[in-house]
Amino acid sequence: MDRSSCIAAAGFTALGAYLVVSGGGFPAGAGGLPGAGFFPQTIGALMVLLALGLLFKARERSGTTGFAFVNAAQTAASAGMLLIYLALWGTGFFPLRTALFLTLFLKFLGQRWRSAAGVSLVLTAVVTAVFQYGLNVSLE
Amino acid sequence: MGSELLTGLTAVLDWEVLGFLTFGVTLGAIFGALPGLTATMGVAVLTPLTFWISAEQGLAMLLGIYCGAIPAGGIPAILINVPGTPASIATSWDGYAMARKGQAGLALGINALMSTVGQLTSILFLALLAFPIAGFALKFGPAEYFGLALFGISLMAGISRDQVLKGLLAGTLGLALALVGLDPMTAYPRYTFGMSEFLDGISFVPVMIGLFGLAEALVQISERHSIRELPAGVLGRILPCLNEWKKMLPSMMSGAGLGTIVGAIPAAGGDIGSVIAWEQARRISPGKEEFGKGSLRGLAASCAACNGAIGGAMTTMLTLGIPGDAVSAILIGALLIHGIQPGPLLFQNNQAFVFSIVFLLVFASLLIMLIGLLGARPLAGILRIPSPWLWAGIVLFGTVGAYALNNAVVDVWVMFAAGIAGFLFRKARIPLGPLVLGLILGPMMEANLRRALIIGRGDWIGILTRPILLFFLTAAVLLPVLPLIRSKLFMRKE
Repeated sequence: MDRSSCIAAAGFTALGAYLVVSGGGFPAGAGGLPGAGFFPQTIGALMVLLALGLLFKARERSGTTGFAFVNAAQTAASAGMLLIYLALWGTGFFPLRTALFLTLFLKFLGQRWRSAAGVSLVLTAVVTAVFQYGLNVSLE
Repeated sequence: MGSELLTGLTAVLDWEVLGFLTFGVTLGAIFGALPGLTATMGVAVLTPLTFWISAEQGLAMLLGIYCGAIPAGGIPAILINVPGTPASIATSWDGYAMARKGQAGLALGINALMSTVGQLTSILFLALLAFPIAGFALKFGPAEYFGLALFGISLMAGISRDQVLKGLLAGTLGLALALVGLDPMTAYPRYTFGMSEFLDGISFVPVMIGLFGLAEALVQISERHSIRELPAGVLGRILPCLNEWKKMLPSMMSGAGLGTIVGAIPAAGGDIGSVIAWEQARRISPGKEEFGKGSLRGLAASCAACNGAIGGAMTTMLTLGIPGDAVSAILIGALLIHGIQPGPLLFQNNQAFVFSIVFLLVFASLLIMLIGLLGARPLAGILRIPSPWLWAGIVLFGTVGAYALNNAVVDVWVMFAAGIAGFLFRKARIPLGPLVLGLILGPMMEANLRRALIIGRGDWIGILTRPILLFFLTAAVLLPVLPLIRSKLFMRKE
């Protein structure tokens, strides 16, 4: 059984079913002309059908395979750090927040403190110069 | 047409446009030369910057990245046997073998020269055939456009090799994402969850940055690539001699031609084109046993083909509004930012702009030849940059770029969500191409079908039996189904 395909199929089935149900709530068409709900329902039904096909095929497969996560903890932590950085977006002083995030990000990926801090400062300076001063984008 | 041609050339001969083109080609060369950074990623991450400059300048930069990254992808393929972009997979087969024989310089030189030959051949194809194709496409009505969009998505899923079902599912997910926003005919809000930011739909560029920038960085962190071992010693001579040119000529021509044709097929890019061209060159050339062991002919065919795909993909994108590959999908998004809709009407209403694109491609291909020949050594040197520095740069530029498009935090979250989804999809071996195509073609599909039904007063049979639409529908159904039937038949035989 291919576990990753089974999980994907389950996700697509749920999303497809949601589209079919929610599409029913949109205005219906008239006189042979489809309404706002026609495409969501068609796409949803097609998605469910294909997902069931994938599920059937995944169960047929001999042996057990799944997601190949080699460095799962490090990847999750990197995504988590970015999540925190984004959650703090707009809370003030962009250069400091960004430099701090990048230093921790690089340190976590095995760089030495000095090189992590150096690269972070350069990247932050370039992005601030390009976007804030060059293109007048307010990053605060 | 003559005055339009002159206007197009004049627009390109502006020093600012040429400056952006040079910047783009140089940046593209760096992106291509670094394994893990692809042309798609470069174009996706840099697209937000084009918002502040003119369409010509923005396109000059993005086309420069595109034309620069594909040839430069051959540099790590030759030096360390790691293709810089997927298009240079076949380049590594003979290029790396040449480097191991002490001919790294010659392989890099052939890569630069053949890339330019491939690009110029495909640009000629674009210049000669784009206008007749666009002229034919002008006959299309809404029903035919619906069929074309459906065919494009189906084709992309169909060439997802053994992942046809997953490709189709990714395509339907793209179509589902395209539903977000106001209904194209009645302006009824769908899936906006009460957020006014979603009334215009999901922004295309943040999705692309997430799928091809953040997701790629996460994949590389998860797989912890650490390939930065450069071969010791000098590169040697770079230019091929006359005899070597003679040897390579047939493979070069067949490679450039095949690459262009394959590139013009929606969704089939340089990676497929170069493998097909390499195999074709092996079949027709004397000395088949040399292929894969440092054959000049094999290297010439693969380099010319992966670059020939650029002009082919641009022809499909400009004439039909259907992306030829992932980069041209993002280029459509970039053009839309400037209010330019690729498709046959572009050839009727803005011929000068089309000529500008042709000239930009010509200048970009000549520039990359110069960079490839003169800058082979420094470009080889940038392979020493540690991977985490690149990942940090991609994450930061991607995040700020997504935000800067509309000064909207919601776009940053869309980019993040697309990045996580893209990472999980890559791990589950779900192709991302059909998703992007679904997102781009979804609104075109829905609006055109419903428009056709309004024109035909709800007569479904009358619309679905129009010859061109019927052809597209049949092809759209058969393309993903045929490989499945074939694999079932083979399984039975075994």
